Amino acid sequence: MELSEVKLKVKQVVARVLKTDEADISDDANFIFDLGADSMQSMLLIAAFEEEFDIEMDVEKAQEVQTVGGAVEFIADYL
Amino acid sequence: MYRNLSDSEISILEQRGCSADDWGTVLVKDNFSPGPISNAHFAGEVKLGVFKEKLLVEKGISKASGIRNSHVENCTIGDNVLISNVNSLVNYDIGDNVAIENVGTVVVHGETAFGNGTEIEVLNEGGGRELPIFDRLSAQTAYLLVVYRHDKSFIENLEKLIRKYVDKKRSSRGSIGENARILNTVSVCNVDVGSYSIVSGASNLEEGTIVSCAEDPSIIGEDVIAKDFIIQSGSKVDGGAVITSTFIGQGAQIGKQYSSEGSAFFANCEAFHGEACSLFAGPYTVTHHKSTLLIAGMFSFYNAGSGTNQSNHMYKLGPLHQGIVERGSKTGSFSYMLWPCHVGAFSVVMDKHGANFDTSELPFSYINAEDGKSVVTPAMNLFTVGTVRDSEKWPKRDRRGDPDKLDLINFDFFSPYIVEKIIRGSELLSELHESTPKTKEFATHKGAYINRLMLRTARRYYDLAINVYLGEKVVKRLEKSGDLTGMEKVREVLQPKAKSDDSSWLDLFGLIVPDSSISTLMDDIKSGKISSLDDLRRALVQLHEAYEEEAYSWCADLVEKRLGTKVGEITIEELTKIITDWKVNSIKLKNMVLKDAEKEFDQLSRIGFGIGGDEDTQIRDFEAIRGTYEDNSFVKSLKQEIEDMKAKTFTIGEETLGEM
Repeated sequence: MELSEVKLKVKQVVARVLKTDEADISDDANFIFDLGADSMQSMLLIAAFEEEFDIEMDVEKAQEVQTVGGAVEFIADYL
Repeated sequence: MYRNLSDSEISILEQRGCSADDWGTVLVKDNFSPGPISNAHFAGEVKLGVFKEKLLVEKGISKASGIRNSHVENCTIGDNVLISNVNSLVNYDIGDNVAIENVGTVVVHGETAFGNGTEIEVLNEGGGRELPIFDRLSAQTAYLLVVYRHDKSFIENLEKLIRKYVDKKRSSRGSIGENARILNTVSVCNVDVGSYSIVSGASNLEEGTIVSCAEDPSIIGEDVIAKDFIIQSGSKVDGGAVITSTFIGQGAQIGKQYSSEGSAFFANCEAFHGEACSLFAGPYTVTHHKSTLLIAGMFSFYNAGSGTNQSNHMYKLGPLHQGIVERGSKTGSFSYMLWPCHVGAFSVVMDKHGANFDTSELPFSYINAEDGKSVVTPAMNLFTVGTVRDSEKWPKRDRRGDPDKLDLINFDFFSPYIVEKIIRGSELLSELHESTPKTKEFATHKGAYINRLMLRTARRYYDLAINVYLGEKVVKRLEKSGDLTGMEKVREVLQPKAKSDDSSWLDLFGLIVPDSSISTLMDDIKSGKISSLDDLRRALVQLHEAYEEEAYSWCADLVEKRLGTKVGEITIEELTKIITDWKVNSIKLKNMVLKDAEKEFDQLSRIGFGIGGDEDTQIRDFEAIRGTYEDNSFVKSLKQEIEDMKAKTFTIGEETLGEM
């Protein structure tokens, strides 16, 4: 999958889970500080990415990911 | 031992302002001297000890023993006792070195059991689960009495044992044990006061027992009003607490205007400011804040956020609902639950819940409300720093100093009881994952909603916890043996000594025990094999002491179920896998907890710090107050645990297992 496609899907997932407008999600947006994700939403995001990309992520490492751009790179490694 | 007063002694006493209804019924010890007695009136049969030594009445204040300005009626007074300014001291046996000063009345009226046998309506405010309280009541006996009401013959037999015990307590004379202090108190009526108790500044104490001992005195402080109560050793009730029909267990603290009615608090509970009604509070139930009402619920190892409350009726058939909150759970500020609800172990409840739910099969959940739905995020609380801290702090905060600790408390974080629930939770999530179409946002289970996305992920977290538990038990077993010369020896060490059955496990307010053992105990009570409360105590202690081996046996069965291998026939490859999985998963779990701890030091946590300054000021102010993540003692200790775990290996013969 192309990186641009991964990015598009990541933003769609983030918008859906955090109930925010996809257009407002920048590449360097921080999940917690910019997008307001709480602990439960962070867990939901991980689960949603796993379903969207049909992957099983290392949760411990996934927790390290702070930004949308970081998530794109992290997920791309699994694809 | 006692003799009549001589004429000269009577004369001295009268010169010192004393009088008696009949000097002939005032007996004294041989070496009695009347000097320390003044302005006292004696009525009925009175026996006096000797008054020779000073005693420490309160911190820094020693006074000469004696009887001054008091009315003493039908009492036996021990040696070196101070009774001063007591309006009425009637029908009491008073031990040596007791001080009673500035007290209105200390009286026994008629026959009483001193609070023993008082039935309190815990858990179900409307009644039906009445708990007869007594001065040797343990959390486990209370649990059996309250929870197993459906077994009528068991309850009848157990209640019979209690009645037999309570009948022995009945008397028309009270006792004030040696070295007790009753000071500046308005009224004490039909109260048995244990040795070394300190009652100071209380308002009214009526129909109760204060158990106390030299190792762990009980303290009843200022403005306390207590009626129909049992207070066990090492407890502190003060600060204007108002308690009615209430049991307070060892090492518990109730104060700061707390009010309680029809409630029981077991070991190490803390209750301040708020209100309890029909509360059945197992060990370590803690509520510190105003506007917190705990009503008609069963809790243990619990922490109530400010403003927590519950409702047990909807103005229909009365207060007939009840709630169960399993061990290790918390409720967030202003959380509300409409009973009936059943909250699974180690869960966190937030928000207002108007729906009834049962998450007992989903431990370690976050439970919040969204659009009127109770939404459960399973396994979420496995990785939170708060859960780990709680489990570490409970044993450290065991205040009980009485050598005879009545409540049997198992502090294990992962026990068969919890792991069994995790396994069931994992199976349940799997079933729900299979049956919930992708078009649905939520799966539902027993009144709770679970985000479909979490079904698969949370199951993985549960499985991680199971691996940690299995490995931990096996590793501990190997470490305990020390002698691992080869796989034959390993297999011998790992072979369980106790037999495990398919029985599920229970948490009896701290006692973790197989269901089958409780069934046997109940049968023994029904058959009369257990024929006294002492017998019951011994049986419960035996169950507590059998835990380690039984839990290991259960774990060995679990190894067989999950790996298809009997521990007694384990190969080195299988053992290597168990140890490696344990290390990998434990480190993962600890790292996730560390990650959670890191949030306590992040940008959002610094909000409000460094007022008026720039970001650098904010950081410096935060660090001055909260310290840094790196220097935090919990973080350091957890990081060290991870390093230790990484380094841990096992040498079996010439093989080294667990290298990373």
